Amino acid sequence: MHELSICQSMLEIVDRTMAEHPGAKLLRIFLDVGKGSTIEPVLLSEAFDVITTDGPYEETKLVVNEIPLAGRCRSCGSTFEYQEVALGCPKCESVDIEITSGLELAIRELEIDENGAGDPPGGDAE
Amino acid sequence: MAKVDVGKKILSENDRVAAKNRETFDDAGVLVLNFISSPGSGKTTLLETTLDRLPQDLRVLVIEGDVSTTRDLDRVKAHGATGVQINTGGGCHLSAKMVAEVLPELDVEHADIIFIENVGNLICPSTYDLGEDGKVVLLATTEGDDKPMKYPTIFYESRLAILNKIDLLPYLDYDVEKVQREVEVLNADCELLQVSARSGEGIDDWISWITTRLEEKRS
Repeated sequence: MHELSICQSMLEIVDRTMAEHPGAKLLRIFLDVGKGSTIEPVLLSEAFDVITTDGPYEETKLVVNEIPLAGRCRSCGSTFEYQEVALGCPKCESVDIEITSGLELAIRELEIDENGAGDPPGGDAE
Repeated sequence: MAKVDVGKKILSENDRVAAKNRETFDDAGVLVLNFISSPGSGKTTLLETTLDRLPQDLRVLVIEGDVSTTRDLDRVKAHGATGVQINTGGGCHLSAKMVAEVLPELDVEHADIIFIENVGNLICPSTYDLGEDGKVVLLATTEGDDKPMKYPTIFYESRLAILNKIDLLPYLDYDVEKVQREVEVLNADCELLQVSARSGEGIDDWISWITTRLEEKRS
């Protein structure tokens, strides 16, 4: 269960990005998560909810864009998406395959409300 | 409402520290291998055998990762290794930062090889670059022959797969050819070596794999 430490790493990047937009409220975090990245989106969302409770990101939503696992056959040059982890190239059955996508784990963008969604003037509520 | 471009790998901070570790290892000309497997596949026993069988003039350091105890470190020390234990206290993997924090305790400058024994787990450690030259995934015949396809990511990321406990093959229904093919399908660049850390079978191939990697690193 490394989704929690992945969330912590993600929030460090989010904190740094949000520091450049003082007073803004973070609405949504858009992620790219490869199917072969060992990250389970459901567990990631659960970990995110736990870790952001009672904080500035309590209402923030995670939006996960799942990227399929895709490969290229070095023998015949064909490219394909794996529905499941497949046994060889679907065209020529060669096993000489390289993974071309599906291992991603990245924050693509943040959606923010620059007006801070009704925070009292003066900011620092804590 | 506004969109802010981030375009950053979530593990970019880990990767930054891993790159620094790698620089330290490269400057010292030391080969670093990161062992990953399920608990009980025989990582520590393989390390013990490896320490006994490597040329004696090589200086070997071991970084042991475990949730708790120094049991593994005590075992490898009994085979002449210098090392350090990292207890993750529940964490399921080592991170580049954990490794960076223990490096000052080790004489990396004068070492030839560093073995990192990761926390026993086939999933989480595959995501974390520690700055190693290669990940080595260990399988044991006692785990069943269905593992590569069930845990594909570690095979995409590994430079070598080792099938351990082959001395038990006569007593098990284990299809070595199937595992061989699955490893090949997942990663054509990942070789599979068959060994028994207990009986010593296949260990010569493993030792020569390591010494070849060391020569490559130094050339």
